Amino acid sequence: MKINNASYDENKTTGIVVRLANRSIFRNTRRTLLTVLLISCSLVAILFTDAFVRGMVSTMVKISTQTFLGEAQVHQQGFRATNDIDLYIEDTHTLFSKIAETEAIQAYAPRVISGAMTSSSDNVAAAIIYGVDSDKEAQVSKLKQAMVDGQYLSGKESEILLGQRLAELLEVSLGDRLVVTVSQAHGGDLSQALFRVSGIFSFNERNMDNGMAFINLSQAQELLSINGVHEIALRLQNLNQADDKTLLFWQALNNEKLETLAWQDLVPQLSSMLAMTEYSTLIVSTILYVLVCLGLINTMFMSIFERQTEFGILLAIGTRPKQLFIQILLEGFFIGLLSIVLGVILAFIVCYWGSITGIDYTDLEMTGLTLNEPIYLILDTMSFIKMAFATLLVTILACIYPAVHAAKLQPSFAMRKTL
Amino acid sequence: MNNIAQNNTQKRDVLVNSTTVIETKMLCRHFGQGDTLVNALTDANLTINKGEFTTIIGPSGSGKSTLLQLIGGLDTPTSGEVLLDNKHISQMTGTELSDFRRDHIGFIFQAYNLIPVLSAKENIEYIMLLQGISAQERAKRVSAIMHDVGLEGLENRRPAQLSGGQQQRVAVARAMVSEPSIILADEPTANLDSKTGIELLDMMKTLNEEQKMTFVFSTHDPKIMERAKRIIRLEDGCIVDDECFS
Ligand SMILES: Nc1ncnc2c1ncn2[C@@H]1O[C@H](COP(=O)(O)OP(=O)(O)OP(=O)(O)O)[C@@H](O)[C@H]1O
Ligand SMILES: [Mg+2]
Repeated sequence: MKINNASYDENKTTGIVVRLANRSIFRNTRRTLLTVLLISCSLVAILFTDAFVRGMVSTMVKISTQTFLGEAQVHQQGFRATNDIDLYIEDTHTLFSKIAETEAIQAYAPRVISGAMTSSSDNVAAAIIYGVDSDKEAQVSKLKQAMVDGQYLSGKESEILLGQRLAELLEVSLGDRLVVTVSQAHGGDLSQALFRVSGIFSFNERNMDNGMAFINLSQAQELLSINGVHEIALRLQNLNQADDKTLLFWQALNNEKLETLAWQDLVPQLSSMLAMTEYSTLIVSTILYVLVCLGLINTMFMSIFERQTEFGILLAIGTRPKQLFIQILLEGFFIGLLSIVLGVILAFIVCYWGSITGIDYTDLEMTGLTLNEPIYLILDTMSFIKMAFATLLVTILACIYPAVHAAKLQPSFAMRKTL
Repeated sequence: MNNIAQNNTQKRDVLVNSTTVIETKMLCRHFGQGDTLVNALTDANLTINKGEFTTIIGPSGSGKSTLLQLIGGLDTPTSGEVLLDNKHISQMTGTELSDFRRDHIGFIFQAYNLIPVLSAKENIEYIMLLQGISAQERAKRVSAIMHDVGLEGLENRRPAQLSGGQQQRVAVARAMVSEPSIILADEPTANLDSKTGIELLDMMKTLNEEQKMTFVFSTHDPKIMERAKRIIRLEDGCIVDDECFS
């Protein structure tokens, strides 16, 4: 007889536990592969959702900022709240040169904005008149690309661009005459001017096509009798700068007179909707992780019941219950490892394909924003790593319950079949 | 291997140096309750000495497996006590009991004894791995025992690639290789044809005599009973007879 307690070393059993776990999962290859497939497909679905949401967010932000908004806008303090045409930025000359010198700002477009009455020979309609600098506007918004008929502004007197629906409402076409009536700044005398429809645009966005008209900046200033602008739309070097409030220009362009806001603050509905969209990854992944857990618990229990006699033997001949527990967790770990390798490869292929071809949602309108270009999936390495680890963790966690069950087996009960 | 003269000397040794390895005191095991109460074992008092080759016999359902399981610490008695090497096994915690089984008891069951994913050699090595015995020592003992049980050349076969008799030999080798004080075998020959069964038993007997290892096994088979040196008869959970042959 020999008592080896003194020399007992847990590390020495690690090898045999790993060997047992590793060989056990390949005993029923089909079951293991099906389980691996279930887990890896869930991982693919999660990563696809994540990449899709990223793509959608970026597309929506791109559409809403690039169409007309700009990534940021400068206004006179109070203008946004009141839309009062008196609140215009006066000292435009120095401001423009300051903006032009700012490296982070790629382009800017000054705008004069006023509510107006437009009347044709057939009809009248309310509209918002934008006075824009034709060259600068083309660098910031998609107005030039949105032209469906006629010519873009060239700076000539009495040019006016109408939204497609507005033109239909007023029953005018190219070359037709149109009277615009506004109330002037500082006092509110009515002022009128005659225009000839020089172009029709369509942003594919109802509110814009319904109620917007563009005229040349200088004529708008004259009409309203102001010597400044209401809004300066900014195109930044890159989108992230809109978030980065540490950049110097944010301070320079925000003072007691000027208010400069990024797109998130200009259209808070959009940013809150995007925040909600991001939850969809969380929801999808939670649901799938629960399914993975249940599937895996089921598989592990099936495999444990099949091997009950074997576990009984292992326990009878002196295996510590803890070792059996670790063995089952290790089996889960190996299954998880296989699954994430397969899942990440498949997800990469699928998402990569989606990032090249894009997913076409054209003409689907979401909260007033038309997705007029396909959504290109965006692969994010960090999410791949995070989700893969989360999946591995979930598979190991799911094995705790079956592992506890195996460790608690009474050897005499487990071996009833043979005894 | 079957040297009668040697056998006799050893038998005498056993009788002279008789130390108790197994002792049961008023051991009871009941299953169920009320109408379904089964007295699988009632007031079993038993003393087994070192080096004995004992068989437990009795009709089906008489409590043979129950007794062996209680002795081996695989089951908990309803009342009474089991002492192995003068230790109360009922007082041990889970891990202590596991380690005690690992170091002191060898088990052989009727069938499906082996771990299917391990080769014959790995099955035999398993307990020594748990005990932390060095690779060198393990290799030495495995090759010696493989020789003793006549399985040389089959080291790397998986259990599924071995015959029933070969599997049981591996089980015997595994039970013995860690040098436990007792080997408990519950109908080790039941799944074998009688010739193979007798061969297995003769092998066990030789090992018992050569290495003075204590064997307790149960059986149905009269041919097997003949080979025992002590027969304990169970009926309805009671020990009704206990004979020694010399
Ligand atoms: N887990 C259990 N639950 C209920 N009854 C049990 C349980 N295990 C054994 N028994 C009963 O205890 C009695 C003794 O069973 P045991 O298995 O010890 O008999 P045995 O002598 O080994 O029989 P066999 O020769 O058929 O193997 C039987 O009547 C059996 O039905
Ligand atoms: Mg039995």
